[in-house]
Order: sequence, then structure tokens, then C-alpha cells
Amino acid sequence: MKGARVAGVGLVTGWGDGVAALPADAARAAGSRRVIAVARPTLIGDRFRRATRECVLGVAAVNALLRAVGDTADTIAGTDTALVYATAGAYGAANRAFIEVTPGAASTLHFPYTAPSAVPAEVAIEFGLRGDYAILLGGVSATQEALWHAATLLGRGACTRALVLAVETFEECADLYARGRWLVRWPLVEAAACALVVAGEATAPAPDVVVRARAGETGACAPLIGFALALAEGAVPAP
Amino acid sequence: MTRGARRLHAEPVAIVAAGVITPLGADLDAFWSGLLTGVDGISPIERFRVDDLRVGRGGEIKKLPSVSDGVGCRASRLLLAAAADLRSRATLDAPGDRIAVVVGTALGGVEEGERALADDRGPRRAAAARYDRPAHALARALGADGPVLTVSTACASGATALGLGADLLRDDRADLVVAGGFDVLCRFVMRGFDALRSLTRDRVRPFDRRRSGLLLGEAAALVLLGREPDVRGDRLGRLLGHGSASDASHVAAPDPDGRGLEYSARTAMAQAGIAAGDVDFVSAHGTGTPLNDRIESGVLRRVLGHRAEAVPVNSIKGALGHTMGAAATLEAIMCLLASRHGAIPPTAGFEEPDPACGLDYVPRAPRRQRPRISVSTSAGFGGCNATLVLEGEPAR
Repeated sequence: MKGARVAGVGLVTGWGDGVAALPADAARAAGSRRVIAVARPTLIGDRFRRATRECVLGVAAVNALLRAVGDTADTIAGTDTALVYATAGAYGAANRAFIEVTPGAASTLHFPYTAPSAVPAEVAIEFGLRGDYAILLGGVSATQEALWHAATLLGRGACTRALVLAVETFEECADLYARGRWLVRWPLVEAAACALVVAGEATAPAPDVVVRARAGETGACAPLIGFALALAEGAVPAP
Repeated sequence: MTRGARRLHAEPVAIVAAGVITPLGADLDAFWSGLLTGVDGISPIERFRVDDLRVGRGGEIKKLPSVSDGVGCRASRLLLAAAADLRSRATLDAPGDRIAVVVGTALGGVEEGERALADDRGPRRAAAARYDRPAHALARALGADGPVLTVSTACASGATALGLGADLLRDDRADLVVAGGFDVLCRFVMRGFDALRSLTRDRVRPFDRRRSGLLLGEAAALVLLGREPDVRGDRLGRLLGHGSASDASHVAAPDPDGRGLEYSARTAMAQAGIAAGDVDFVSAHGTGTPLNDRIESGVLRRVLGHRAEAVPVNSIKGALGHTMGAAATLEAIMCLLASRHGAIPPTAGFEEPDPACGLDYVPRAPRRQRPRISVSTSAGFGGCNATLVLEGEPAR
């Protein structure tokens, strides 16, 4: 979109932190492993004890973004920052945990975390994000639409910056993915990525989403990994 | 204090027609007449087990139209039924690749996930558990090959979907957009709200002094959006503005000061280019929970200023329950029908005013009034807030 650019990407994957951790060939690096999981990041605070792993991964991705662009959390707090979240299935683990819990033992805290909105909620709370807000579900296309929406908000002057966040977890539902194994591209690689979209002229178009060979199947995170790779090569890509 | 909105004005978008399926009836006419005549959409839930829950009532649709026969997933069936109603009122007169679908949902295909984890080990059931599957089923049924978006801003989803749909038109990514929301009443969500003690054993009483919680319902609601200059002939009205905001406060409870809801209302009004004095009617989120209704009333009082007590405010959740992803779209449609028919439906269940709320909640009977500009507010889990500003159009 004209007048918007991706200024940075924070990235955490099952391979490690940032694009430097991505292997040259995901399938080869995975070997016989079907899922490359991300360990739950360690974050301090009472809120994070009850938050789900995908929520904490979302916060970790924004922290990684802030480190990547050299900003502080204060910079993004308030109504000037829009948050647009995309995922294909990061709600699956919480849904399953709630469905399979022993009858009568459902905790009052757990159910709200089954909502896809729990991940951006924890991110918004952690960083004080009170601006425009949207959540899109699906894979690569959901993130591409999230990038479009972020650029639209910037173009309209509804925000001065937008965070496009994507999180994917697979481990807890790996057996369900295996049922449709001919529909799934292995390895499934858990990831959390957050792109900072700001006004400004891009010097390159949005990168093609051809990261699967390097990163594996990362669902809605794939477009943002593509941006991270482009930025690492010195490009200033359009969303 | 929430800062003022600065969103630039956006072009209005035409709302050509609507289609619904609700616990009040299987089409738009039944929905509207049910709201006006006081039909109670709440009944004992029959479709799944509720004997181990504190509350076993809700806005359950007892019979689905045959148009959706053969479709396995109930969420998709609801959407297809609403789409059939919509198509009986308007033609999708555009090439398939210029028709987009944007639908909101809080639960997607979660009921399919329950079955996939219980007794159905097949791959189809697991795949149908994805929350974006019903939107794609709708797009296939409509022959819509343009963008297909699934929005999940919890119980504000049906408003966010209309806002994004309007942006697709403004950005020339589609010539027509079918936008709306849906959700099914299933054991998963009943267990969740039951565990939260959010469900009432009484009737739903939005803004009433005795209110004690919500009841859930199921529905699908769709509107056909088009660019204003392209739409010829009759239309329901226009979407003038949309605003959204995060509370950044709590994962389940609303912000105590309603900051996110207020910001979303102010940005929607700024986008619409209207002031508080222009608002004729407010369709509130009005869940009937003690916290929501008090906070929301405070927000409306601040946003509407000295006119707050003069503007009628209703909630339709007492009549059909909280239909989650469908709720905001249904409420937007209700606003437009109020303009068309010159009547504002009453707030079912509201009898004894709560001084902590203190606005005009349209008690007991329909109000003979023809609002032109309506504001519809919505909120949901995760601190999601969305507001729509609508302009109705009397029948030609």
C-alpha cells in the first residue's frame, strides 16, 4: 500500500529467536519431528502465570520487535498504536484444554482464554495498546489482510503506527493435524511474529511468501517471516 | 480520560439489504415483528446436554430451514440460512471475483472441534473446527471469489466485520460485500459462561435494577454492502462510521471506566462526521450483567453529553439472548429497521430502572419514533470494543 512500510519485525520460532535461527532447509532440519515447538517464554508477573502459552508468545514477539527497532514499550502505549492480530489456529490448544477438562473442574479463569481475542488482549494489556483493534482468523491470507487493514488505518490517519501480530501453536493439537496429514505441510513450526507498520515510502514490494522451505509451515506467521527476511537483507518493504 | 478521536472522515457505504436467522424466527420479517410484539426467543435448550449446568436455557433455534440441508456444520447452516434470506431481498449483481465475504464469530466451528475430540475421529470434523471454515462455506455458496475474511473480536465481531467490509469497498477491493456475523449455541460456550457464573436463572433484564446476568443465543445475520454511488433502487440505509478499540485492561472483564468503548464510539462518530446532537437512537450492547450495563451507561452519558437522557437506548438481548458473533450485526439491522418502520423496539426485561444506569431504555412497548442516525455499541472478551454509526432510510 502506498505510503506505508514495514519498519521492523520481532520473531520467535521453534528454531530460535529471529531469522538468524532459521535453518537453510526446514524439512531437513526437522528430521523425523512433525512439530517444532516453542518453549513457553519466561515472563515475570502474576498475569502471565494464568495466561496461555500462545498469549505469552504474543507478548514475547512484541518484546522482540521493540528490541529489533530500538524502541521502548512507552513508545507504543496509548491510542496512537493499532493492533491487528492474525492466527490460523492458536486458539486450538486452549479450546482443547477446556473441552477435555474433567467435568465440574472448569476454572472460572480458563474459559476466556479459549477466545482467539485472548492473545491480543494480553498483548494490549502488557503494552497499554488502546488504539484501533482487529482480529482476523485464517492462515497466510489472514495476515495479508491484517497488513492491508493496518495500512488502511495508517492511510486514514486513525493511528500513527500499527502492530501486525501473528501467533501459531501446534503441539497440543498435533494429533488432530495428523488426522488430515495429506492437507498439512510438515514440519509444523510454532512461531510468533510482530511487524511494525508505519507511514513512509517503501523501497520494495511486499515479499512473496516463500519462506516454507526455510522456516517450515508457520501458518499466519509466514508473511511476517518473509518481511523479517527481507529486512535482514536491507529492504524496506511495503506491507 | 480517553482522548478525542482524530480519525478522518470516510465515505459512507450503502447497506442494500439484510438477511437473518434468529431464535425469534427464520427471516428478517419474523425477527422484526418478534422484537416489536415481544416474542420470547428464550427456551429450554434441547439440542445438547445441559443437565449438569446451572442454567439450561438460551436462544436456541429449534428448526433450521431446509436451504441448509446436507451441510454438516451448524455454524455454516446458520450462515447459509441467513444468506438465503438476504438473497430473497437483493441480487448479488457483480462478478464473483468482485464479491467479498466478511463474517465475524466468537466461536467459529468450535462445536465441530468438540465432536472431533469426542466421537468423530475423521479428518473432516477436525478440519471443520477451524473458525474460518464457515466463512469459506458461505463464500462458496454465494459464488463469491473475492476476499474472504473471518473476524473474531469476540462479541464485537459482527460490528468489526461491517467496518472491514466497508473498507474493502472504499479500497476498491470488491464491488459488493456480504458482511455480518454468526455463532451457534453449543455445549462448549454454555459450559464456559456457566463456569463464569455469567448466566442468569431469571430472565435477561438489561439496565434493570434486578439484572443478574445474560443468556446466550444463536443466530446469523448478514448485510449486503455496496458503494453508495453504485447502488440503485431501494436500500436499508448507510454505514457512516466504524470505530474499534482495545480496553487494555482485563482478558474477561470490561474496563471499569469503559475507556475502550468510549474511544470506539468517538472514533466511529468522527468517521461518520456527526456530533452528539445528531444521534437519534442508541442500540446498546446491554448484556444484562451488572457490570456491563452500568459501565456502558456511563460511556453513553459521556459521549452524548447533555442530551444523554433524551436519546432512547435499547437492548434486544432480553428478547433473544446474547447471540455473540451475530449480535452486533443483528443490532445494526434493528437500527435500520427502526428507521424504516418508525418504531424502536423495547428493551425486553427492563421494568425497574437502575439509578446507576439512568438513561431512557425504552421500557415495555415499542416507541413510535423514526430515528435517522443510530449508534450501535458492542464489546467482548479480551477488551474488544466496536461501534457503528448508521443512517436509516424510510421505505420508498
